Amino acid sequence: MFSAATRRGSGLGFAMPAILLLAAFFVIPVVFLLTRSVTEPQLGLQNYAALVGSTTYAKVFFNTFLVAGVVTLVTVLIAFPVAWALAIMPGRWASVVFAIILLSMWTNLLARTYAWMVLLQQTGLINRMLKAIGLIDQPLQLTNNLIGVTIGMVYIMLPFMILPLMGVIKKIDPAILQAAALCGATKWQALTRVLVPLAAPGIASGALMVFVMSLGYYVTPSLLGGTANMMLAELIAQQVQSLVNWGMGGAAAFLLLLVTLGLYAVQLRFFEPKEGR
Amino acid sequence: MLLDFHKLGAWRWVLTAICAVMSLFLLLPILFIVALSFGSSRWLIFPPPGWTLKWYEELFADPRWIGAALTSAKIGVIVMVISVVLGLLASLALVRGTFRGRAVLRAFFLTPMVLPVVIVAVALYAAFLRLGLNGTLPGFVIAHVIVALPFAIITITGALETFDPAIEDAAILCGASPWEARLRVTLPGIRHGLFSAAIFSFLISWDEVVLAIFMASPTLQTLPVKVWTTLRQDLTPVIAAASTLLVALTVLLMIAAAVLRKGKSE
Amino acid sequence: MKTTLIALAFASALTSAAQAQDMVFTSWGGTTQDAQAAHWAAPFTEKGGPAVVQDGPTDYGKIKAMVEAGAVTWDVVDVEYDWALQAGKAGLLEPLDFAVIDKTKLDPRFVSDFAVGSFYYSFVLGWNPANFADAQPSTLADLFDTAKFPGKRTFYKWSAPGVIEAALLADGVAPDALYPLDLDRAFKKLDTIKADIIWWEGGAQSQQLLASGEAPIGFFWNGRISALQSDGMEVGVSWDQNITAADALVVPKGAKNKDAAMKFIAEATSAEGQAAFAAATGYAPINLGSADLMDPAVRATLPDAQTAVQVNADMAYWAEHRDEIGNRWYAWQAQ
Repeated sequence: MFSAATRRGSGLGFAMPAILLLAAFFVIPVVFLLTRSVTEPQLGLQNYAALVGSTTYAKVFFNTFLVAGVVTLVTVLIAFPVAWALAIMPGRWASVVFAIILLSMWTNLLARTYAWMVLLQQTGLINRMLKAIGLIDQPLQLTNNLIGVTIGMVYIMLPFMILPLMGVIKKIDPAILQAAALCGATKWQALTRVLVPLAAPGIASGALMVFVMSLGYYVTPSLLGGTANMMLAELIAQQVQSLVNWGMGGAAAFLLLLVTLGLYAVQLRFFEPKEGR
Repeated sequence: MLLDFHKLGAWRWVLTAICAVMSLFLLLPILFIVALSFGSSRWLIFPPPGWTLKWYEELFADPRWIGAALTSAKIGVIVMVISVVLGLLASLALVRGTFRGRAVLRAFFLTPMVLPVVIVAVALYAAFLRLGLNGTLPGFVIAHVIVALPFAIITITGALETFDPAIEDAAILCGASPWEARLRVTLPGIRHGLFSAAIFSFLISWDEVVLAIFMASPTLQTLPVKVWTTLRQDLTPVIAAASTLLVALTVLLMIAAAVLRKGKSE
Repeated sequence: MKTTLIALAFASALTSAAQAQDMVFTSWGGTTQDAQAAHWAAPFTEKGGPAVVQDGPTDYGKIKAMVEAGAVTWDVVDVEYDWALQAGKAGLLEPLDFAVIDKTKLDPRFVSDFAVGSFYYSFVLGWNPANFADAQPSTLADLFDTAKFPGKRTFYKWSAPGVIEAALLADGVAPDALYPLDLDRAFKKLDTIKADIIWWEGGAQSQQLLASGEAPIGFFWNGRISALQSDGMEVGVSWDQNITAADALVVPKGAKNKDAAMKFIAEATSAEGQAAFAAATGYAPINLGSADLMDPAVRATLPDAQTAVQVNADMAYWAEHRDEIGNRWYAWQAQ
């Protein structure tokens, strides 16, 4: 909280520039587009009825959240140990790993995705290597399915989770962990009952970012996944750009927004962020 | 003693192994791209039948690539600065503010990230047509700030939430003005968050393709648009060459920064 | 202060005059647009027309937004022919000025009120011979026969004329009985190989899939196959029941340089322009006089020399049912 000595107002003023920018250049244009979901092709809720009644959309919707969930989970599982290690490793090694992470973010997204496409192909390097060392006889199907999408998206999302989490872990007072050890906690107990809870805000905000990003992605999933794993964003792109049906595209986008905000509200209810100290 | 690397015992090797495997995972496509950029086949076949420099020749012969990269960098830097500043202010309000509806405001700031980019792109494009902002630098920057801001806000709020405001209050009690306290105590305290926010904002803008396709004009092209249209039409290793050059440039910059830092500390 | 203002006004008048003169041509990018720039735009400017600025990629959402807002920045756009017909009916395009564009010399399959053909191409059966030791594929039915010719197949991902027709033909439908399209039958046929389909989104990806062997057989744009062959690759091609489709040149409604646009289209559809473009890309000219201007050896590789076993996709039918087919197509893909 702002201390009594410094509190001049509720603090809302600080957020005004961002709010005004978003209101003018995001809310208004998007609302205009989304109202077309109830006015095109005719006034009414037909677009929504079509979406809700269609098994295809239900499948795509479900698949989108499934992929986003899987990607987030895998990313968290890999990012946590890596962020932890980076936060405490000796400087030189940490710098090298850090540099590699930045380098992967900096390489063009499309180039990275195409590289994965070629690497994961049945005739690609990974399958050939696995065959060479005798692990498999037939090439594995690594693209055009959920595996390919997960690999590709985790690859892109990892840095987004590792960097903030690393910062959060660095700020944890080592004395707390020392105290836990002195109180007789095993390493595993210290991990699950002290370190993870302390790092939880970082994990939560990173996971939220990755999850929401994954919901809206379609370039990587469309290149690495088959159409059976189609994500909602691709469907919306088809409607908006190929079929130029802004009513339908807008309706699907609005539904996605509603469901996501709903999930966010649920998350808030059960995992309320601390109200300052 | 989980936060002391040397006291971790066997766990040290587990963590190191995970880091090593992940680093290899991150490097694999990049090394692959570098290798492909020297391959003589037009198609992305590995191992390539021969080696050549012709893709680099083609790259340098076409000034549009360099122009696109410079434009992307310029826009990225401007977007980075604006996002971090606006994001910092908004985060201060969200974390330290006392007004009601903070949770709602936080959700509001997230919405540009939730809505599929193509919707934001078409909506902004239609709006900018009437404002005359299409194909202009300010329009491009505004569009990218809109999608980068949620990232800045998430990372900075994450950092602010773990920063004890009592430290800032203590500075004020010691005689600093509120703004002085913020600048000299809080900002350094959340510098990891600020750094992450800056990097993410820049990279979101740098790699962003959908909005860029809508906001671009023949004279204002960003690198991802050039890569996208080239990849769709003509898959050649020229893109690999472009990516490799950027990677090389980044590595050089990182080495330079490391050398400078070492020089300062000696 | 006053002189600065006058200078500024003068400068902006000059620049805006110069910009109003430039014509904007939009296409899909890559070497195809490079060829269009070299063989249509360059001669156009040389013959006294305004400078032509290249823009892209073509985006139907953008066109709709531009026309609605009355702020059209594209003067001539290369689009898919069936979309052009639909867009014309929806009022998004300017009617073409046939006093300027000579339509008597143009292939009547690709002439309409709002659009003329830009070029046309065929979908052909292509395969990597190395993957098929015994028999080589030769008909569309073989494309759907995973028992005799195992491996992944690759088809064009977007809803467009070509793939549905191929499925119906492979299922035994006679070419003149294709329309109206029996979508159920087509999807049923495609379902038999759906697990083996890799979709290509762009021409380059299709070439990559074939060249790398990831998809040893598929249905491709003929120009892409010719490019592979001229690159020295061993590629099997069958023109049996090749399916034609076309791109179109259109002028969005409210374009700022309508007159220049019409003259540009006239140049682009001229016999010389079409011949030069065809030679450069492997796509077929829509000007009936171009054939005489071309090298016979080159002519033999073009779709228009393969008319014997050719099936023309019905653009008017597609224009009429574009949305309905599109929705069913994407829904089927997502299942």
